[in-house]
Amino acid sequence: MVMHPVLMIAIPLLSAFIMPLIKKAHRYFAFSILLLNTALSILLFAKVYNEGALYETIAGFSPPVGIYLAVDNLSALLAFLINIFATINFLTSRQDFRFSMLYLLGVAGATGIVLTGDIFNMFVFFEITAVASYALVASKKDRKATEGAIKYMILGSVGSVFMLVGIAIIYSQLKSLNLYDIAARISSMDPKMMWLSFSFLLTGIGVEAELFPLNGWVPDAYEGAESNISSFLSFGPSKASIYAIARLLIIFSMSRTYELALYLGIVTLLVGELAAFTQKNTKRMLAYSSIGQMGLILIAFSLMDKTSYAIPAAFFIIVSHASAKSALFLLSDKDGFGDMSSKYAGLAGVLSLIGMPPLAGFWGKWYLLMGVADEKIWAVAAIIIFSAVIEAIYFARYLYKNMEGKESSRNSIPAAVMVSISIVMGILPILYNMAGGVLNA
Amino acid sequence: MRKVAAIVIASAFFAILLISFYQIPQSGYSGSEYYYSNPITGSHANESVPSHYISGTKNETGAVNAVTAIVVEYRGFDTLGEVTVLFTAATGVAFLLHKGKGGKKRAEANLILREGSKLVLPFILLAGAYIFIHGHLTPGGGFPGGAVIASGFLLMMLSYPKFFMKEKPVSITESFAGITFAVIGLLGLLFASSFLENFLPLGNAGYLLSAGIIPVIYIAIGFKVGSELSSIADKFKEVQK
Repeated sequence: MVMHPVLMIAIPLLSAFIMPLIKKAHRYFAFSILLLNTALSILLFAKVYNEGALYETIAGFSPPVGIYLAVDNLSALLAFLINIFATINFLTSRQDFRFSMLYLLGVAGATGIVLTGDIFNMFVFFEITAVASYALVASKKDRKATEGAIKYMILGSVGSVFMLVGIAIIYSQLKSLNLYDIAARISSMDPKMMWLSFSFLLTGIGVEAELFPLNGWVPDAYEGAESNISSFLSFGPSKASIYAIARLLIIFSMSRTYELALYLGIVTLLVGELAAFTQKNTKRMLAYSSIGQMGLILIAFSLMDKTSYAIPAAFFIIVSHASAKSALFLLSDKDGFGDMSSKYAGLAGVLSLIGMPPLAGFWGKWYLLMGVADEKIWAVAAIIIFSAVIEAIYFARYLYKNMEGKESSRNSIPAAVMVSISIVMGILPILYNMAGGVLNA
Repeated sequence: MRKVAAIVIASAFFAILLISFYQIPQSGYSGSEYYYSNPITGSHANESVPSHYISGTKNETGAVNAVTAIVVEYRGFDTLGEVTVLFTAATGVAFLLHKGKGGKKRAEANLILREGSKLVLPFILLAGAYIFIHGHLTPGGGFPGGAVIASGFLLMMLSYPKFFMKEKPVSITESFAGITFAVIGLLGLLFASSFLENFLPLGNAGYLLSAGIIPVIYIAIGFKVGSELSSIADKFKEVQK
């Protein structure tokens, strides 16, 4: 079968355009489109896994004149994760057809970010996901949701401008927007300009990827939004943008940029985990913990040039965080795990996040520590272990508080399904090889 | 204190930006100075991307307006994305702003504005349509054309407080225009080899019926942008107190 990755972006966009015409059945329609997208992403992964990286030109012009999509193992897996969690999460929506439209657009944008091989195209998809997320965060329409959405929108749009300036600097020097072409010729760029564009791009994407000084919106937006939207934010835009940062690191591929990313990751990890430790409000605690995990993923990606453990480590932390944290956010609309499925989802999610074998979170931290040990950077290892201990303490407190509660969330079954995916992916050791595929730059 | 700190940080940042932008090398552009590498075949080309756009536009796309050729053909996928961004924003506005309850009555505009805007409206719509229909021949295209059309409706809203856009026709126009764009892309996958690839005859460059799918897409974009911007303006008008 001929597999076109572009369908995974074009079909959700087309269905979002169709949505206003079929207001009544919007929920079934959107759900079936998400299901179709998940199926396509499985096919795509099977193809990429068997045949190696896949390129698809768009509009018939060979890159870099035209745009192309570049799919490797890791991006196909991420597209699969985003789409399957989006499908499960969508089961919890209870809003009108405009919500379904925005949700589909947000998912299509996040999928586009991981599949595209063109830096300006990536920016466009960033805009789509970001604009959809602003509206989705505000969809609760109360004071807190509006506050979170406004903070997110202001920071997000300033971030987009930074990203655009970074792209413009690269284009002014290399006359190209293609990621591969840029990576091949980046060394002919003036080092000053290289740093300038790198810092602009990192700042721009860092807002979405919740990196330390740029994440002021995170706690408010996650706290204010409806719980299924907090869950969407933690598996969709944030994961796609941390992957975009990984691609950025590969393009620039200087030891100093990797070093900068490592420091940024460490600071983000420590700030996130310590803030989560002092937090009483459940959703804010989960949001700060997300920041910490994003720092951990960035640390993993920043070791990419040194050790082969880095990419599997990042992948497993992404799986564990995307599933377990999204599930915990889904459960967070009520205090307590009253029924069996929410008890199971909460417990398994927490165990995966703090890194209990054989769950996905364990493999992530395990490979990361192996990579760090290979490089003999013991300070980083100490920081990772320290943050894991803090994480274990506040999650134990969280479990203790919630297991007592009699109420239970309406979203418990989708949450349980999400966590189960993380368990399955953690048990399949075969995934180690799958995720180890080279990233394309 | 916070204000002072903010001003200091902002001006320091501004100074850094100014210094670094001043240092951007003004590379004099010449065709042979750059080459690009093709990621799929790994081959190198002895021309730069911009010079390819300049030399190839007429033969490859049939358009005489190179900007349009880049926006709709070479980087048409980005344009689909940008149209979607606007669509997302319009949907978000419609989703968040619900119908206002009455609101304060606004005074009627004066006679000159009322009669004048009635007189001017058809010409504004005509100019907008001209801009997007001739997108492949003259400067302009779907985005400015659509914005001109929306400005005509905005003028009507300003002069007649009771002028409301009917929601249904506007949203149907918006949907059909978006569907047209996406379906043309998919037809490219079906009749040619890739998404958004041209599958219509290119025709004689410089004529109205030329350049393959460019005019069709630009007309769709014109309708889409026009209806989206007017519906955003209309939504904001409804909640005005």
